[in-house]
Amino acid sequence: MARPGNKIIQAKLVLLGDMGTGKTSLVLRFVKGQFFENQEPTIGAAFFTQILSLQEATVKFDIWDTAGQERYHSLAPMYYRGAAAAVVVFDIASKDTFIRAKKWVEELQRQGNSNLVMALVANKSDLEPSREVDTEEGEEFAQENGMFYIETSAKTAENINDLFYEIAQRLAKACPSKPSTMNLNNEVQHRRKLFCCFG
Amino acid sequence: MYGTQSKRDLALEFQSQIPILRPSIHARRANLTVKFQDLYGFTVEGNVDDVNVLNEVREKVRKQGRVWWALEANKGANWYLEPSISEGIALKSSLKFSTLANAITLKRLIRKGIPPLLRPKVWFSLSGAAKKKSTVPESYYNDLSKAVEGKVTPATRQIDHDLPRTFPGHPWLDTPEGHAALRRVLVGYSFRDSDVGYCQGLNYVAALLLLVMKTEEDAFWMLAVLLENVLVNDCYTNNLSGCHVEQRVFKDILVKKCPRIATHLEALDFDVSLVATEWFLCLFSKSLPSETTLRVWDVLFYEGAKVLFHVALAIFKMKEDELLLTHHVGDVINILQKTTHHLFDPDDLLTVAFDKIGSMTTNTISKQRKKQEPAVMAELDQRLRRLNSLKLDDK
Repeated sequence: MARPGNKIIQAKLVLLGDMGTGKTSLVLRFVKGQFFENQEPTIGAAFFTQILSLQEATVKFDIWDTAGQERYHSLAPMYYRGAAAAVVVFDIASKDTFIRAKKWVEELQRQGNSNLVMALVANKSDLEPSREVDTEEGEEFAQENGMFYIETSAKTAENINDLFYEIAQRLAKACPSKPSTMNLNNEVQHRRKLFCCFG
Repeated sequence: MYGTQSKRDLALEFQSQIPILRPSIHARRANLTVKFQDLYGFTVEGNVDDVNVLNEVREKVRKQGRVWWALEANKGANWYLEPSISEGIALKSSLKFSTLANAITLKRLIRKGIPPLLRPKVWFSLSGAAKKKSTVPESYYNDLSKAVEGKVTPATRQIDHDLPRTFPGHPWLDTPEGHAALRRVLVGYSFRDSDVGYCQGLNYVAALLLLVMKTEEDAFWMLAVLLENVLVNDCYTNNLSGCHVEQRVFKDILVKKCPRIATHLEALDFDVSLVATEWFLCLFSKSLPSETTLRVWDVLFYEGAKVLFHVALAIFKMKEDELLLTHHVGDVINILQKTTHHLFDPDDLLTVAFDKIGSMTTNTISKQRKKQEPAVMAELDQRLRRLNSLKLDDK
């Protein structure tokens, strides 16, 4: 619930990454606290909402969870357009998914906005014995690209809340608290809402 | 291989096993959510009203079955399979009056639903799958299955990954037998058309086809006729260009047929493709209850891909008043999702789709597709070039 006198941030968040990296599972864990071993593949995209209350703001997430198969790539712009935050996911047990994640980051940097909060998520940390991507490698890439890096497991729930809290915090920081109803990005004028604050 | 007999038994079993549910007055008062299995074995979660609707639908399906049997008795068995009727949309003046009358009867009959037990036969014939199959040697499917056995391609790897994720928990699909059958159909098709290979979404479509058709081989041919003849080209290939075209055409039609909704959604910056892409690629199998999905497919296989526009428009149309009151993208999606998940009575949807939307000819839609194609190609091409320039920068 929103704390009285607290600002409210409405933020669009998009999840991108190769098929089977656990995008839907991450969201379901965060939004409903659920996990299914056999999560149905997402077609097009799925939509979720969740609210996070911080000390300084209440963040209302509109979450777009996208399809991972390569050919669905051509639909992605529709989903990341106007996003305030992007979560790029790979599977620690698959090098290929990390390579794909890097491509997503490059694409986002070119077409997204410079204020985009980006997270690089190394999911399936419960699969440590079959790890193919080292923590250092992930961290280094994230740092070079101005993102934060986190290792999660939707299965065990490890770091899932931390991931979204960190994003919420970064959004709150980017969103000044003084004036009421202020639009942060001038793109809003083109009716592409990035995120806005209500006093 | 799973036998013909076991498949039919399965369908019958589902139908006989399911008792008429009579929720108690307490359940009604408490507005409880109950879980139950529908006609095709899917677990459905719903409230007491949903259960009642499903019971009514079951009764309507039985009645509709009696109508079909009565017509068979009157016009002779398989009257609808006579080529001049099943292809009867081309109504030439040279046709006999009785043929014409039969074609009109059939169209109306199909919009009211094909009884589940007749579906395999009627679909197979009216969709053109039977004809397609008859052009190749009898052993085509078995030869194909044998030839591709043990081969590993990117497509087979993705198919294997998705097998246990396709309608998990279904009493037949989610068994080793179900997985194996679905795998053979999808892998077989990925070799038949390497441009399509495997596209996610086809797993749901093929799974439902397996549940309806009596044999795995017939399910395969239904998939083939669907992708090669019924739907627009390139819906599932490399960059989904056909799907992009359909989405653009859909947007134009929405503006024309539901202008108030279109204007409102535009003002919310809501792109209808956000929800409609899944509808078109999974042919509603992921959003509508099973019997409702199959009723849509009944018409799809007879009247063609324009049916998808009718149904998609109907979903918006049914909720016009509610949609016009929304202020937020999330609310729009919630309304649409809630609506589709609870459309247990197929007639609620199909009445709107065909009586309230007004007619759209395949011809008009083809013209609109032609108009959109160059724009889609240009957009996809531009995007590809932008991505390639990213790669060049890396070097």
